Amino acid sequence: MRNYENLVIVKPTFTAEEIQASVKAIEETITSNGGEIATTDSMGMRKLAYPIDKNERGYFHIIYYSVAPSAITEIERRFRINEDLLRFITIKYDTNREITAWNQLVQKAKKKAATPAKEEATKAEEATKAKEATTEAPVVAE
Amino acid sequence: MAERRKYKKRYCKYCEAKVDFMDYKDVGALRFSLSERYKIMPRRLTGNCKRHQDMISTVIKRARAAALVPYTVTRKAVVTAPFENLR
Repeated sequence: MRNYENLVIVKPTFTAEEIQASVKAIEETITSNGGEIATTDSMGMRKLAYPIDKNERGYFHIIYYSVAPSAITEIERRFRINEDLLRFITIKYDTNREITAWNQLVQKAKKKAATPAKEEATKAEEATKAKEATTEAPVVAE
Repeated sequence: MAERRKYKKRYCKYCEAKVDFMDYKDVGALRFSLSERYKIMPRRLTGNCKRHQDMISTVIKRARAAALVPYTVTRKAVVTAPFENLR
């Protein structure tokens, strides 16, 4: 078993449910090939640094897992067939130093997954506050 | 001359910070070793040591493949604030 990380970029044209479905399918391809998913981390919809297949945005999803090294070719082959993906990147964490870094990344992602509701709530509050501020501002200006 | 002096003091910032591993997703950290046009800065200008320069170059190349950092910035394909969606 070796530690890996996969970054997948899902097409932005999908609806939220379709994205979740395709992400689930991606995770299933890993588990069906004997992989153990440590944790996942969704970076959400982001702007791409350059257009890929004329798409300006993409849904970034990161999966940390461990599999036998021989299964990686099969997983990558499946990803290549999958038309929901704009891009995928597999990264190997092999040396001791990299493995400790992998563990840290996994813990960080887990922490992030454990406290998303809070952050979103605060963000939503900020957004509403900002809206109020913008609505109030012109009144003051007048 | 003034520009030259900017890079005069040569020491590796990554050694100083004791960086053991770089993450390609942490785009803000890569900014130091990228030029305005998103080229990888040479060692003679940044003062990075060989070990950390090797690390940063692989990490930047990964970030480029992941569309987190642009490959090129030309007049035709201008990237307007590519780090805007950083958190």
